[in-house]
Amino acid sequence: MSNASTSDINPTIGAMLRSARDFLAHEHSLFRTLALEPVLIGRGQATFALTLPPAFADASGFIHGGLCTIVLDSIFGLTVFTAMEDVKPIATINLRTDYVAKARPGARVRCAAQCDAVDNDVAYVSGRLALEQGGGLIATASGAFMIGTKGPMKGMRV
Amino acid sequence: MNAAPPIAAWLGFSCEREGEERRYRLAFNETHIGNPAIRALHGGVIAAFLELAMETALRAEGRVPEATVNVTIDYLASSRPEDMTAQVRAIRIGRRLAFLEAEGRQSDGSRLVAVARACLKLA
Repeated sequence: MSNASTSDINPTIGAMLRSARDFLAHEHSLFRTLALEPVLIGRGQATFALTLPPAFADASGFIHGGLCTIVLDSIFGLTVFTAMEDVKPIATINLRTDYVAKARPGARVRCAAQCDAVDNDVAYVSGRLALEQGGGLIATASGAFMIGTKGPMKGMRV
Repeated sequence: MNAAPPIAAWLGFSCEREGEERRYRLAFNETHIGNPAIRALHGGVIAAFLELAMETALRAEGRVPEATVNVTIDYLASSRPEDMTAQVRAIRIGRRLAFLEAEGRQSDGSRLVAVARACLKLA
């Protein structure tokens, strides 16, 4: 995650995020499609920018809400990692997305998330998706994540 | 019926009919994988599939969804790298709003993976 501040993240987590970066950018099919660009990564917070891909348009020509949930869920998962003390697998428990406005394919957007609390093995995250130009809100979401689920850690959750 | 919108093509979305019952299908594709280590579907992909299933079910009832107000999804079990099917239940379809619920299943319907609920604004 170059050009983004990772200084206050636990060093083990930071190393894991760095090793995951190249894998996600080049070998992970969905993340290559989304082409998420890190803007800010700190402890318990993350902001990414992306261009909404036309492959996710609905019948009306607008971006389908499902893409917003895909992006928010992805960034939320990463945000949970930045708040953790050691590397463990995580999984989304549940997620609520409010669709505030429709967006067009090709629009530049930012997804900003924060980890609001970690209570033992459950993390609570909230965030928003907004237009890069002017900041018009597209969607907000909040979710709960389970920390320390079964499964190997290689390749991480996001 | 129009050509499938891009999102339906990307998801590999289809509808099957068995008598009165409609079942929706997400055809497995490598691009749907979220966690390559455990080869689970991306949670957002499951949510997108269930949301599209609810919109399609509403159209099948002769109603036109204008916009989705919100969607909540619970992930009940880890998913597998295979097709998912969904069945949609209308909780209430009113004049301006519809409240729907969709169950996403795998392993030939024996494994309940996720349940989503949506509120849609009607045209």
